[in-house]
Amino acid sequence: MFAQLFASLGEILQSQYLVPLAIGTLAGLVGGVLPGVTITMTIIIVLPFTFGLDPLAGLAAMTGVYVGGESGGLVTSILLGIPGKPSAVATMFDGFPMARRGEPGRAIWLGTWASFIGGLLGALFLVGATVPLATFALQFGPWEYFSLFVFALSMVAGLTEQSLLKGLLAGTVGMLITVIGSDPIMAVPRFAFGTDFLRSGFQFLPVLIGVFAFAQIMTDLERMASTGPAPAVEAPSLVVSHLAVLKDIVTRPFLLLWSTLVGLLIGVLPAIGGSAANVMAYDQAKKFSKHPEKFGTGIPEGIIASEASNNSNVAGSLVTIMAFGIPGDAVTAVMLGAMTIHGIQPGPLFMTQQPKVAYGLFAAYIVAHPIMIVLQWLLARVYLKIVRVPKAILIPQILLLCVIGAYALNNVMDNVYALLIFGVVGYLLVKLGFPLAPLILGVILGDQIEVNLVRALMTDSDPWLFVTRPISGAMLGLAVFSVAFALWQHRRQYRRPAGPAEAETDF
Amino acid sequence: MCLAGSLFLLWASRDIPQPALVPIGPAFYPRIVLSVTAVLSAAVLAGDFWRRRTAPAAPARVNYRLVLLTFLIFTVYVFVLPQLGYRLSTLLFVGTLQATLAPPRSARDWAIIGAVAGISMLATYYVFERYLNVLLPRGRLTAF
Repeated sequence: MFAQLFASLGEILQSQYLVPLAIGTLAGLVGGVLPGVTITMTIIIVLPFTFGLDPLAGLAAMTGVYVGGESGGLVTSILLGIPGKPSAVATMFDGFPMARRGEPGRAIWLGTWASFIGGLLGALFLVGATVPLATFALQFGPWEYFSLFVFALSMVAGLTEQSLLKGLLAGTVGMLITVIGSDPIMAVPRFAFGTDFLRSGFQFLPVLIGVFAFAQIMTDLERMASTGPAPAVEAPSLVVSHLAVLKDIVTRPFLLLWSTLVGLLIGVLPAIGGSAANVMAYDQAKKFSKHPEKFGTGIPEGIIASEASNNSNVAGSLVTIMAFGIPGDAVTAVMLGAMTIHGIQPGPLFMTQQPKVAYGLFAAYIVAHPIMIVLQWLLARVYLKIVRVPKAILIPQILLLCVIGAYALNNVMDNVYALLIFGVVGYLLVKLGFPLAPLILGVILGDQIEVNLVRALMTDSDPWLFVTRPISGAMLGLAVFSVAFALWQHRRQYRRPAGPAEAETDF
Repeated sequence: MCLAGSLFLLWASRDIPQPALVPIGPAFYPRIVLSVTAVLSAAVLAGDFWRRRTAPAAPARVNYRLVLLTFLIFTVYVFVLPQLGYRLSTLLFVGTLQATLAPPRSARDWAIIGAVAGISMLATYYVFERYLNVLLPRGRLTAF
């Protein structure tokens, strides 16, 4: 395993992979810095550029975006008090007060180095856990796969902040999208109503791009008139002693390890994402601290916990997609789409059938971290200029790249029409209070759920096997538990008074 | 809408052909999903109706005008794209949307809009056609 990893590390350092990885990391950092541009949006923008690349080069670029994006978001959180992305919200709680106290460089670099260390600790888990988990998944039959996908979907629907019913409904609407067009077993057309456009069904990426990009852009446009441009801020000095900052971090080993673990575990669970990891790690750090009252006043612990967790979260998400073929969040959902375009199917056989790509992905994730440090150091001076790029310039470019991304999938306009349709659908769903993550997971897993359900029932028509087979039964039990837990949590929240709204919307 | 849509599709699922030799046909799974969707939609409707009666939502101030205009411009772009081709329609799309989002007030603003539209069209065309082998749409009317 390690011999293969070292070989892949050597390979990823070649220019054909290193350049896309570095450009992806740069794009991620810049996207993370821009308020309103989430990592999902950045990866959607980068997606069309990866179509013409070698699969590993394309995935390396996307891994770079993921790692860079998680680290870039901390900059505006700390310097402006505006989270660059939802997973940097908790970084703001202590980063912004520390910067206002006259230590912006210390705050930025505490976050950056904590991201670096948390990310690399996450890499150990990524490399060590993916193969055993994939081997475990090899024991799965259609019953277990069906139950695993149902569990993933129920969990995502249950963990959304909006209503549980709306989360579940969004999931089934996603599954409905997959039943339009030819059925995956006998290729019989369904709900085509005599049109060629519907007969071929909807590809997953135009749906994902339309739903996420439009929901984000249109929500930004709604606020555009009321918020105005970002405030003009004079660039502060970010010069700092890196040794002192590193000492600040490594003298808190328990905090660092625990926050990394929280990020990893949340990353492994489907579609919860870095925003939950960030806030949960901050909350845990506060609970374990001897001075919880100091949190929020600009102490290093708050920054270290939130940033170590959101970068290790990336590793957790990558484990889930590589071992089970289930995206950990929207970013890995786009990566999954990119893999399928290149004919790669992530899942239990991925490590054995595509070892070059799998270990290359590990290597890209590891190498992205030092690249992120170098770029962060180079970009530190220009960050506040990047923040002030007007949305009137940014939004047309994003929409243009969405169109190219959808069109370039098969060089047909049908995907662009699907992009428009699902852009409208995505925006309407957000306006009506529906979460988008379950919808996307429904679209991704819909076909697989159908194939495994039908395969299981054709093998043995006894439906009780879904419950009596141990792994399948356990998964279904967990699905019921996650829905019950979500019900209990929603009831508890319903009784509590509403807290302040977050600066960014996490779809 | 979800309730009406799922009930309509449930009705339409009668037209899905059922192969004679296979016990589980292509309509089996869609009917399960559609039934669950219909039940959940009805539950959401009932929940919303109950909440509306007990707690009226506070009106929010949002800029729907820009949202509608952006959707309109994007829709026109999508349908004009195969007629005028990538280069011309993209130039018009980027310029129009920019001018809508931040209306120009001086000749300098117009110049910036023109420059940004031109550069983004040329840069994307060059990168995708030359380097990434993506053949961008040609126009039926313009032939380029």
